Amino acid sequence: MAAGAGTAGRLLRLRAAGAGGRWRRLRGAGVPRGFLQPASAGEDTAQSRRVAHFTFQPDPEPLEYGQTQKMNLFQAVTSALDNSLAKDPTAVIFGEDVAFGGVFRCTVGLRDKYGKDRVFNTPLCEQGIVGFGIGIAVTGATAIAEIQFADYIFPAFDQIVNEAAKYRYRSGDLFNCGSLTIRSPWGCVGHGALYHSQSPEAFFAHCPGIKVVVPRSPFQAKGLLLSCIEDKNPCIFFEPKILYRAAVEQVPVEPYSIPLSRAEVIQEGSDVTLIAWGTQVHVIREVASMAQEKLGVSCEVIDLRTIIPWDVDTVCKEECFLNLEAPISRVCGYDTPFPHIFEPFYIPDKWKCYDALRKMINY
Amino acid sequence: MKGQPPVSPRRGAGHRGLLAKMAVAAAAASVWGPSRGLGQAGLLLLRRTGVRGLARSQPERQQQQQQHFSSLDDKPQFPGASAEFIDKLEFIQPNVISGIPIYRVMDRQGQIINPSEDPHLPQEKVLKFYKSMTLLNTMDRILYESQRQGRISFYMTNYGEEGTHVGSAAALDNTDLVFGQYREAGVLMYRDYPLELFMAQCYGNVSDLGKGRQMPVHYGCKERHFVTISSPLATQIPQGEDACPGPAVGAAYAAKRANANRVVICYFGEGAASEGDAHAGFNFAATLECPIIFFCRNNGYAISTPTSEQYRGDGIAARGPGYGIMSIRVDGNDVFAVYNATKEARRRAVAENQPFLIEAMTYRIGHHSTSDDSSAYRSVDEVSYWDKQDHPISRLRHYLQSCGWWDDEQEKAWRKQSRKKVMEAFEQAERKLKPNPSLLFSDVYQEMPAQLRKQQESLARHLQTYGEHYPLDHFEK
Repeated sequence: MAAGAGTAGRLLRLRAAGAGGRWRRLRGAGVPRGFLQPASAGEDTAQSRRVAHFTFQPDPEPLEYGQTQKMNLFQAVTSALDNSLAKDPTAVIFGEDVAFGGVFRCTVGLRDKYGKDRVFNTPLCEQGIVGFGIGIAVTGATAIAEIQFADYIFPAFDQIVNEAAKYRYRSGDLFNCGSLTIRSPWGCVGHGALYHSQSPEAFFAHCPGIKVVVPRSPFQAKGLLLSCIEDKNPCIFFEPKILYRAAVEQVPVEPYSIPLSRAEVIQEGSDVTLIAWGTQVHVIREVASMAQEKLGVSCEVIDLRTIIPWDVDTVCKEECFLNLEAPISRVCGYDTPFPHIFEPFYIPDKWKCYDALRKMINY
Repeated sequence: MKGQPPVSPRRGAGHRGLLAKMAVAAAAASVWGPSRGLGQAGLLLLRRTGVRGLARSQPERQQQQQQHFSSLDDKPQFPGASAEFIDKLEFIQPNVISGIPIYRVMDRQGQIINPSEDPHLPQEKVLKFYKSMTLLNTMDRILYESQRQGRISFYMTNYGEEGTHVGSAAALDNTDLVFGQYREAGVLMYRDYPLELFMAQCYGNVSDLGKGRQMPVHYGCKERHFVTISSPLATQIPQGEDACPGPAVGAAYAAKRANANRVVICYFGEGAASEGDAHAGFNFAATLECPIIFFCRNNGYAISTPTSEQYRGDGIAARGPGYGIMSIRVDGNDVFAVYNATKEARRRAVAENQPFLIEAMTYRIGHHSTSDDSSAYRSVDEVSYWDKQDHPISRLRHYLQSCGWWDDEQEKAWRKQSRKKVMEAFEQAERKLKPNPSLLFSDVYQEMPAQLRKQQESLARHLQTYGEHYPLDHFEK
């Protein structure tokens, strides 16, 4: 993670997630920022069909939260952060490069609006970022830390697992860092290779004391992020980076929350249950329609949303073991680091999911 | 303290900042405008400002420069450092033979060396220093023994370092937040943490504020602003902006934002200072301008590892300037030196929103913990020297005696009294029950998740059938 090469590497890799190599460059700026502007709906569909392994399916416009606005996922994140800083004077946002708006533009405009003591850069040091965030939270102030890529969360692993997660328990509830939220871009992006593609939620899935959340869409992202920030426990919020621009839908302008530890049944079904989180939800949605069309199979589609503590009741009733007609099938990446050129073969795409479903039906 | 404080690198930022801005403008000019005219004009502007800037703050250097160079186009423009060019190849030699000097107020016999450094503390306060240190020492002896007898599972003594705890604690406000490592019980002692609660934590009984969750000596007290100790080393440091400094730094940042007029103090040993978290904490505290005191207890050993295997530089104090942090080294066995340094650091950290680093030199007279036998790696003579010739408690006692504030009779009476107090608290703590086993499950999250409640119920059912195999008699029902 040498600052120079690493940063350059990261900037290069920001080439339009899903833009199929097309990139608009702003004159003079070192960072090719153009591609980070939200694409229009028409362009979006074209982009996603061309390159991505999924098709983002927006949810219907939510009507119960007041006025909505078209936002992509990073804008939904900005909106959530904006709402938080407006409402809570103790809230601060910090991490690498957040001051100018962040490498994924999630914090654009916030420093100007809220001041440099509230939105600021830190030195390049993930263990420091999380440790610092814990300290802010221990005093009761709201700390929103950004880890630039989930792949870089590991130096902070000790702080998260040994400190943040255990703060309340080990002190007998004298102290806690519940007002800490860590947000981080997550997951495959088409060209991220080993260090810009990782989905490390499994490392945290068995760590009591923290919550880990992954949204599938802009609307989900804003509501879940706001819940994480409000939640009185330290939370990690992973943002599927491939969806930052590719996912666009109507999102309420005002704050709202989506409950944590509650999975969502997106589609009812009677034959097979498909479960995923983040980007993969869109893959399995497509697999569900393929299954209906080609096999006449009715699929239940569940977005897990919170990885820990997870919604056991929605996913499996206590007697489900005796009721399963086939063993549970897991479709995921291979047990290798995330490769670059081989990404199309590595990821659990709809064909692999469909094939697993087909085998399961024929079990 | 006396004289002009040395200018920290930050203070030069204004001059450097101006140059940096001009440099960016010049660079931008040469990118956008015609490469000749505008670029040259831009550089001319830079030169003029440069000269004026130099003239105001560094007349001598400018003179020297004019002697050597025909134009000032040659000044370094790098954003990364404010420095002059040099045309001679020379490596900086780290100075470890005569390192940063050690500030002290009393000599080893407890006599004030330089009267103007005497803090002239009132008798009552100095007696409190003495009683805190000696009470801690007495408690340490009794609890160490109790571990040897199998009554508590583990203990760590503070022998030889009592001065670092009490001197620093006394210089803080009671509401200043403390992040400790694990050998700072004297800070709590000075803040009047009752013996009952020290014992309760070591025994993990129903009175333990920590609900029996941690090993002995992992104290915490919200009321006394002492954050609960955690085992992983140096983790309190970034937090304090825990043995990580990071959290300490974060807390200091929040205190600054809240205009709390509070300082955060973060204690750690010279071993913990090797952790990456220490580096992170120092750097964050400096860049984010946090009101924090980093207090390093350099006691010569990290378990069996002597300082010669822990670092090659001039201890921890020498690292401070590398981060842009005001730093000092003090005699940790001189409670007044510790007091003076901490007092001044506190005043300035809060007033100026910058971190301070105090390296208190001391010696760990006891073993690392009850799991350690230090005769395996150091000589009895070495330990005996410190115990007999340079101990914070005896030095202070000499001072007290020479002031006429203490004598042998009072010493005898106090020893008896303090031992009695400790024994009473100890016996009571031992008799108390442990907390109800259901407390195993609470406080993981603020609310108990459904799955955990199921596990709690499952343990309760299990105990109904198999309870005889568990030490339920010692636990509250």
